[in-house]
Amino acid sequence: MKNNKTVHKQKKIKKQRIKDFTRSSLEKKISRQSAELKNKKGQLKEGADREKSAEEQIYIQTKAMEFTLDAIFIIDAIKPDFPIIYVNPSFLRITGYSKKDVLGKGYFLLNGFDVNLSNPEEIKKNLLQGKSFHGEILKYKRNGEKYWTLLRIAPVRDNEGVITHYVGIKTDTTLMKQRESEINLQREELLHVTRVGKLAEFVSSLAHEISQPLAAILSYAEAIQRLFKGREPQLQEIIQNIINDDVRASEVIQRLRELLKKNKPAFKLLNINDLIKDTTALMLAHVISKNKIINFELDSKLPVILGDRVQLQQVLLNLISNSLEAMGERPESRDLLIKSFLMNTKTIMVQVKDSGCGIPPENIKKLFSHFFTSKPDGLGMGLSISRSIVEAHGGHLEAENNVDCGSTFSFSLPVAIKENI
Amino acid sequence: MSTNIYIVDDDESVCRSLKILLMTFGFEVKTFNSAQSFFENENVDLPGCLLLDIHMPGMDGWQAQKKNIDSGSKHPVIFISAEKKENALQRALNAGAVGYLQKPIHGQDLVSLINSTLKK
Repeated sequence: MKNNKTVHKQKKIKKQRIKDFTRSSLEKKISRQSAELKNKKGQLKEGADREKSAEEQIYIQTKAMEFTLDAIFIIDAIKPDFPIIYVNPSFLRITGYSKKDVLGKGYFLLNGFDVNLSNPEEIKKNLLQGKSFHGEILKYKRNGEKYWTLLRIAPVRDNEGVITHYVGIKTDTTLMKQRESEINLQREELLHVTRVGKLAEFVSSLAHEISQPLAAILSYAEAIQRLFKGREPQLQEIIQNIINDDVRASEVIQRLRELLKKNKPAFKLLNINDLIKDTTALMLAHVISKNKIINFELDSKLPVILGDRVQLQQVLLNLISNSLEAMGERPESRDLLIKSFLMNTKTIMVQVKDSGCGIPPENIKKLFSHFFTSKPDGLGMGLSISRSIVEAHGGHLEAENNVDCGSTFSFSLPVAIKENI
Repeated sequence: MSTNIYIVDDDESVCRSLKILLMTFGFEVKTFNSAQSFFENENVDLPGCLLLDIHMPGMDGWQAQKKNIDSGSKHPVIFISAEKKENALQRALNAGAVGYLQKPIHGQDLVSLINSTLKK
């Protein structure tokens, strides 16, 4: 029995052991599985988060593309006809086309009819070679209206480096172009006025030079006429003809001078600083291309003056372009300074100071006389006209060399007085 | 005794030709190429007429006329100029001159003006 009891006890123990084992392994398993689950859950959650942020990113990028003011379009580079597969709202706004007009249409086909010039060919060539394109081109909206656009097209590559798409961005530069061409037009007009002014001044001094000998010829002829009075009828007749022709020539000259005088200046109230700013704006492109800098020291509290806008612009233009020429190509002379200040209660002073080569002392006195020039192709009219314009405004124009380098041209203008307004 | 005419003009041809012309009318003529040289000359005190060009380098005709009057001179002045200015005659009269003639000047016009001036 004892044995039986023992066997039974042993069996019981074994059972218990098995039970224990099973339990612990189960527990272990469970805890392992739960950990796994937990892990998986974490993974899942992470994945979901990741997915969510990617979705968000795509969303934001799409929105950004839709809201940007530049036109964006995407071309499918795999299909042979390069169809447009995406355009953003700005594209539609700038071009005037609808989605239906452009989506699925071959980019080059579309470009074929709305671009002039040779750009489409150039764009096509670049894209077929897998290059990007960058250029400012004139295009037409759907309604035929012209617009200028800065176009950039770049290839989009997949991970293997194969070009799958092209992305294009267009910036409407019409306003900038318009402003540019307005400035060009104004500059052209001013140059024209300057040329006409130079011509007028030239003809006027020429007329003066011619009228003097004509006056002398008349006096000589009349003297002969008197000396031979009552004699030599044939001689008398010839002399009379000389007199008649001389008078005729004098009249032509006189008419010419009167014609030139019709360009009377139109005096208006002006702010000299505005005039300086406007005039330099016309020169800006030129100044930048010469790698020069215009600095300003303008007294913002200056009173107004009474003057002819175009004429005074001519003076400034002349002084600035002279200064630029004096500074030439030399990199060490870059700075041009334009100053305006009140010299006294009645006088405004404007100075154009350059850092150029200065004026040879022997030339300073002759600077303002007609036909004096130090330039090989100059007429020698610019400064003499400028001086007469300034003097017609009741001011003075003078030049002096700076202590360090370059020269300064200064002109004074009287402050507008109430009685004259 | 013949009447004296003083011509002040920076243009030598104008001076020379007017001198010859006026001499045919019997005037005694002296010419000067600038107002300065006229005022510096001591032999201009004789009675007679002064012909003044307006546009001259240095002292111009208007300034010369002012100096002429300030010096107490009795010379009647006639301005001569190549330029036609609307109010030139009035301005000349205001400046104390007796007349204004535009170049080219007909001898007869000039002499008539001189004679009528000197008769007064």
